Amino acid sequence: MKRVRKDSASKAAHQAAPKRQSRRDVLIKTGGLLAAGAFGAVPLRGWAADPVNIGALYPTTGSMAQIGVGCVAAAKLAVDMVNEAGGIKSLGGAKLNLIISDVQSDTTVTRTETDRLITGNKLSAIHGCYASALTLIASEVAERAKVPLITGSSSDQLNKGRTYTFTPFARASQFARAQLQMSKLVSDTPKVAVIFENTAFGTSTSNGLKELAPSEGVEIVMFEPYSAGFTDASPLINKVKSSGANALFSVSYLNDLILIVRTVKQFGLNVSINGGSGGFVIPDFYKNVGKLADGLQGVAHWNHDVSDDAQKVNAEFKKRTGEFLFEYAGGLIAQTFMLADALERAGSADPQKVREALSTLDVSSGFAAMAPGGKVKIGPDGKNIYGHPVGVQWQNGDLASVFPKEDARAPLMKT
Amino acid sequence: MWETVAQAVINGLLIGGIYALVSIGVTLIFGVVKIVNFAQGEFVMIGMYISFFLANQFGIDPLLSLFVSMPVLFVVGVLIQHFLIRRVLGPNDMPQIFLTFALSLLLLNLALMLFTANYRTVHTSYSDEALHVGGLYIPVAKLIAFVVAMALSGALWVFLHTTDLGKAMRAAAQNRDVAMLMGINPDRVFCVALGIALALAGAAGSLLMPFYSAYPFVGQVFVLMAFVAVVLGTLGNVIGALVASLMMGVAESLGIQYVGADSGLIVVFAMLLLTLAFKPSGLGGGRAR
Repeated sequence: MKRVRKDSASKAAHQAAPKRQSRRDVLIKTGGLLAAGAFGAVPLRGWAADPVNIGALYPTTGSMAQIGVGCVAAAKLAVDMVNEAGGIKSLGGAKLNLIISDVQSDTTVTRTETDRLITGNKLSAIHGCYASALTLIASEVAERAKVPLITGSSSDQLNKGRTYTFTPFARASQFARAQLQMSKLVSDTPKVAVIFENTAFGTSTSNGLKELAPSEGVEIVMFEPYSAGFTDASPLINKVKSSGANALFSVSYLNDLILIVRTVKQFGLNVSINGGSGGFVIPDFYKNVGKLADGLQGVAHWNHDVSDDAQKVNAEFKKRTGEFLFEYAGGLIAQTFMLADALERAGSADPQKVREALSTLDVSSGFAAMAPGGKVKIGPDGKNIYGHPVGVQWQNGDLASVFPKEDARAPLMKT
Repeated sequence: MWETVAQAVINGLLIGGIYALVSIGVTLIFGVVKIVNFAQGEFVMIGMYISFFLANQFGIDPLLSLFVSMPVLFVVGVLIQHFLIRRVLGPNDMPQIFLTFALSLLLLNLALMLFTANYRTVHTSYSDEALHVGGLYIPVAKLIAFVVAMALSGALWVFLHTTDLGKAMRAAAQNRDVAMLMGINPDRVFCVALGIALALAGAAGSLLMPFYSAYPFVGQVFVLMAFVAVVLGTLGNVIGALVASLMMGVAESLGIQYVGADSGLIVVFAMLLLTLAFKPSGLGGGRAR
């Protein structure tokens, strides 16, 4: 029984967006014409560079709205930054024009919205959709329409059989390995208890951990699915306690994770907890769990302390929204600058040329290079060949990068 | 070994206390008014949000907000009985089923619209504390919830057995027509029954708040357990629902410990099916008390 709220107000807002744009278009063009007339000369072409349309697909209503809304705020900030810095110079200072579409946390809606966005607008590229399940659909549609799509979604499937999808950040398979390696920060002989919700997400993530554990020298002492949305975590934690684990990996959504963390504390259990990524690395997690969250570890494809540029963007985002720039939103700002870099080199708004330019993307400075390791180079399968996740830890309400050594910005807090 | 078992039993009893508050409400409504209230879980949700907002806006401890959530939901119960349920009582069950089901959907989606799907938690000084007895851990917030839940159940039992209104309620539960012939006003009795049942749901919400998150779907988690407890403990039997709730809590907890963490409910439902196979009227016997 899944019920998704349909927010008619926001739907109306994004339907109105192209209209508003065309009015601005008219103003710019007539303004340019008047100015040109005043100087008695009409330039041959591009008296005001046409804006470059970038599609943004995010769930701003429905169950994933919480993170989707943050993504849209970041996407707007990124576009403002590019435009204020003079737009795309090789296109006569063309401004980026963001066209936002709500995919309503729903795969069917994602398919139709992506289609509608592409056929209704002349797009140069698309970014989206935060949730892998939605991005997989959007990337299929974009592939067929031959519009490049750039995404921070981690599913490895996004790199299979696609030539228009670009993933500049760490892949899901790398997350599991990083999590296992992090358990060795706490103990030389990690005994890990893996508990996961019995859903597709929980099962696939935990199986990845199980497969990689032997090669990383990590012993898994408990491997237990549980029913998502339980009323009480005590029996489960009782079981973790009797397993003798010194580290706990929990593949859970927010509500279950909050119960698990509280119960571990109540039981006085001395285990380090790694909550993975997603809902675990957003400001809301700390707001809900409070001081108990301090010391908890996770993994992310981006963190606001990866570089000085990232810190700068983080400060600006904080000013706008009051929250720190979270994983996906931060990566999204870097993606926008990657698109700007590609447009600059392509010297064209044609999606085909933008795709070519994205496939040879190679940056190691500036906002486009805001990624763990500070380098982005797209390989033949659309992946960043330097892409890797960063291990993070909650420290006094902030997320600090603690792993691997070269990305660590703070020492691991012992709990 | 014994410690693990004892811990599992304690965990089960503590959560069973909360199941009991929800299921007693359902069984009371069924016993007296003879309708199944599918929206009972949503009233738990409302109780939670009342406590959340009082704690968030005025810093009132969720346990104290019991004194707000219970009266508020009592009044809501009376109003719902008077303006909605009273009008569909009749020989046909369908309108009643649709009414409470629609109420559930309405409240759930209203909550989604007003409060969004976000999880809300309240921190209290005792939220994360636990008593250590021998090698066992007893979370303080759950212990308080359990004790208050048992006290409320006890108070209800005393009310039903010693006051005139309580006796009238039991009389109406046993045989509505005869009760009416004895001069009992069914409308008044039904209003009070609904009020009490919803107040108990509100109490469950307030008691949950120190250790569980509030979100629009939260009621559905508890109402499922409540329905099982109501059937297991014989429909309409308050003591039966109480005992069945505690048993289910323990069965679920032991199931998680010894069968698998995703099998807690399997044990609970196996228990239900076995009971129904051998004692179709439920553990409480065939007689409503």
